[in-house]
Amino acid sequence: MPLIETDGLTKRYPGVTALDALDVTVEPGVVGLVGANGAGKSTLIKILLGLLPATAGRARVLDRDVAAEGPAIRQFTGYMPEHDCLPPDLSATEFVAHLARVSGLPRAAARERTAETLRHVGLFEERYREMGGYSTGMKQRVKLAQALVHDPRLIFLDEPTNGLDPAGREEMLDLVRRTGREFGIAILMASHLLGEIERVCDSLVVIDGGRLVRAGAIAEFTTGLGSLEVEVDGDAAALAERLRGLGFEARGEGDIARVALNGAEPYDAIRDGVVALDMGLVRLEQRRQSLEDLFRADADAAEGEAATA
Amino acid sequence: MTEPRAGAIHDLGYRRYEGARMGRRHAIVSLYVHGLRSAFGLGRRTRSKIFPVGLIIFAIFPAFIQVAFGALTSEDLEVFRAEDYYGYISLALAVFTAVAAPELLGRDQRHQLLPLYFSRAFSRHDYALARLAAMVTALFALTLLPQALLFVGNALVVDDFGGYFRDEWRQVGPILASGLLVSAFFAAIGMTMAAAVQRPMYAIISILGLFVVLSLALGPLLVNFVDNLAGRLGIFLSPFGVVDGFTRWFFGAGLDDDPLAATAEFAGGAYFLWALALTALGGAFVVWRYRRKSL
Repeated sequence: MPLIETDGLTKRYPGVTALDALDVTVEPGVVGLVGANGAGKSTLIKILLGLLPATAGRARVLDRDVAAEGPAIRQFTGYMPEHDCLPPDLSATEFVAHLARVSGLPRAAARERTAETLRHVGLFEERYREMGGYSTGMKQRVKLAQALVHDPRLIFLDEPTNGLDPAGREEMLDLVRRTGREFGIAILMASHLLGEIERVCDSLVVIDGGRLVRAGAIAEFTTGLGSLEVEVDGDAAALAERLRGLGFEARGEGDIARVALNGAEPYDAIRDGVVALDMGLVRLEQRRQSLEDLFRADADAAEGEAATA
Repeated sequence: MTEPRAGAIHDLGYRRYEGARMGRRHAIVSLYVHGLRSAFGLGRRTRSKIFPVGLIIFAIFPAFIQVAFGALTSEDLEVFRAEDYYGYISLALAVFTAVAAPELLGRDQRHQLLPLYFSRAFSRHDYALARLAAMVTALFALTLLPQALLFVGNALVVDDFGGYFRDEWRQVGPILASGLLVSAFFAAIGMTMAAAVQRPMYAIISILGLFVVLSLALGPLLVNFVDNLAGRLGIFLSPFGVVDGFTRWFFGAGLDDDPLAATAEFAGGAYFLWALALTALGGAFVVWRYRRKSL
């Protein structure tokens, strides 16, 4: 059973199309939702939670229709919004326990789960203090706790590391990873930072301008996509052109050329090319492909197309 | 798979929740109870309790005086009768509504809690209805408390408890019915203002303005225009005037004691229907507002 399934999902605001006939199927696991700011990530999450009505199309979450069975779905989903949402005059305990009851938990169970969940996110004695005095890191933890307190099957995290310093970011990502791996809760995490997604998620949904760009396992995105970085003491662009002429995928700029590996064996061609062009080979390095590179390459390709057109 | 991490010896691992999930109805009731407590400042800082407690004391004060007077003098004199009560308590109800309605709606707005609520096990109109119901119940409690004190107190003061009860039990129906409509009337209008005006301070001022200033200003003003229909209809714009009109009608009392109502010469039933219409309209507006609200 897919976790999330959308079929022609569309959301139009006056003048703006936030989601444009989006068809995507998300399987259980820790899933990253990537896109630039304004790509439609928050809109998608809000529609899946029933916070926003779709203009057209359908969506199913946990095998139920979001428009028809909202309350039934939401018993089993959690939501950590991007914005601040903590009343400063309440303690974390009061706040989370109240939201647990509103999620359908009986009073005693709500109290017990609140204590457990706050401990899990790393709030101890502070949980009895008013939240107005909390640091950003502590606030983010409470926001995660209220999404987890009713033991959902799926949680939606909207930019969970927003506003955190590097250490806090590390801790939050670790917490998210543990929630997915150890607690066995499916996660859809929206972020515009690929590095974060890569570290936490096992699969990825990329959207841009409200459309699906790609979806699949993180491994699918990165395997076989390594590249070779060639540093020369001459014109790298000329070398790249020569390599392209031999059927390799290569780009050069300044004194660095990048050659795609993709199972290709460009080593001899590079050696011959350097000799033929009478330059010195300074460095030859195989780069591990990260998602960042992949999207940079995509963006470069798009720019190149735009330039030639 | 839940092996403890280094340095986290006390981490017992995540435990799944296998207990009951009570669903939508439980979620709505929880929100309702939370709203009711919030209206009286329970579960809030002490500062939030000052107004509710003050208003409760203000509301029961005349009933207390009446009962004390009866007990001390043993004379059969009535300072207040049940049907006169609303003329006095309307002010307390208005101030209570002005404080509690923005607390119930504006607070969730200000702290951006609505996305958290709306992503839980109920729907948007469940939220609006639970908040409305909490407001009505809080006002009903505030209305009923003095009435109950008055009724029981009077019954205890007279020597013949059973006799008093036999004579006066007919009052119980009108007390409950009028109390309920008064509460719903104040709640619907107050919550409409609180839903329409975002900033709590402005909401408080609008509600007080609508109830108190309008009511107090219209009285003296309208007396000068009783000779034409437009002027007489003006009484329907005075919330206290309307409340006075239909509560007296509920108790079967005439409107003659009220100079304004007496000169306006409308039947008590007209006030009742008008109050009912405004209440329904206000409630519908609040539900509509929350269904449409963009997050």
